[in-house]
Amino acid sequence: MTDRNDRWGDLLRRANRGDGQAYAAFLTEIAPVLRTVVRGRGGDGDEVEDVLQEVLLAIHAKRHTWREADPVTPWLYAIARYKTVDIWRRRRGGAAVPIDDLAEVLPEDPVDVTAARDLSAMLGRIDDRAAEIVRAVGIEGLSAGEAGARFGMSEGAVRVAYHRAMQRLKEMAETKDATRE
Amino acid sequence: MKTEDLIAQLAADPAPAPADTLERRTGLALLAGGAVTVVLFLVLLGARPDLGAALSDPVVLAKTVLPLALALLALPLALRGARPGVAPGLPARVIWALPVASCALLAGAFVTTVPSERLALWIGHSIPVCLPMIVTLSAPILAGLIAALKRGAPVNPLREGALAGLVAAGLATAIYSTFCIEDSPLFYATWYVLGILIATGIGAVAGARFLRW
Repeated sequence: MTDRNDRWGDLLRRANRGDGQAYAAFLTEIAPVLRTVVRGRGGDGDEVEDVLQEVLLAIHAKRHTWREADPVTPWLYAIARYKTVDIWRRRRGGAAVPIDDLAEVLPEDPVDVTAARDLSAMLGRIDDRAAEIVRAVGIEGLSAGEAGARFGMSEGAVRVAYHRAMQRLKEMAETKDATRE
Repeated sequence: MKTEDLIAQLAADPAPAPADTLERRTGLALLAGGAVTVVLFLVLLGARPDLGAALSDPVVLAKTVLPLALALLALPLALRGARPGVAPGLPARVIWALPVASCALLAGAFVTTVPSERLALWIGHSIPVCLPMIVTLSAPILAGLIAALKRGAPVNPLREGALAGLVAAGLATAIYSTFCIEDSPLFYATWYVLGILIATGIGAVAGARFLRW
């Protein structure tokens, strides 16, 4: 356990300095362990793989919350548990949760067009391809595979691009009035 | 999509944002939110004229120091809570000394106050100012903190929001206490605490709503 912690910590430290190979090794080694965590909460085959990929995306998006002095395994497992519980609850939670999700996409007051205008303004500020992907996946509701076929990209590339664009939009919305760093 | 493909995609982007941004953003949020709160305080209330003299009494000083200590202990807890897998550590134990201290002050004041004056001092004359102002003054700080903590990854968003609420309420109450002339712990150890609890509850609701990721 400590060996694993040291090894993963070392890989992630190197990744932080821009070492893509170390990062690939890190992700490849944690994936089977996290798969066990995800499977422990139920689900089968494809479903487990879907959730695992969401967990990996969450680890990627939140990797700045790990400090190099901290042990890496508690950090990793805490994220995996939180995301797994969250995703399973969202998928199995019935009708209540999808409405919650929609609330973040739809403007609260249908008469108020500011939110929609903000969205298109923000989409204008990210690159064109990313904006197209957000429109296709987020607004038209295409699957990653369908959007990939349209733009001539692999399904994986679409997923990553969509995730990054959403992060970017979220950050923009958060810092809309503040000066950007 | 195969997981190996996703890993290959993610590995193309190894370097993260520097790990200290959470602390820096939280610091900036406290400065910005705190500045708004101070301006609100100066415009709406202002410090009591006899502040210097009043603070020489330890029982009056406690009115300012205890909420300040609450904010200073809740802040590291909120920062740790925003990093997955980090234990809350010492502040999580020390912070319980504060409710104990306010109960002790309350009990002490109850014993030392003449029975006929207890009710008047307990009710005081400013509850309708005290409660709304503590909540109002905490709002700018809470908003800043929630915005900054979104950068983190709290695995318990409700608790994280409550901790942000405690920080905001502690600072707001310390500032408010320099206006308030009700110096009996019968008053402040009851109504300040209630104000802080309300602001903390608002923080918890905000956390559950805005700090999920």
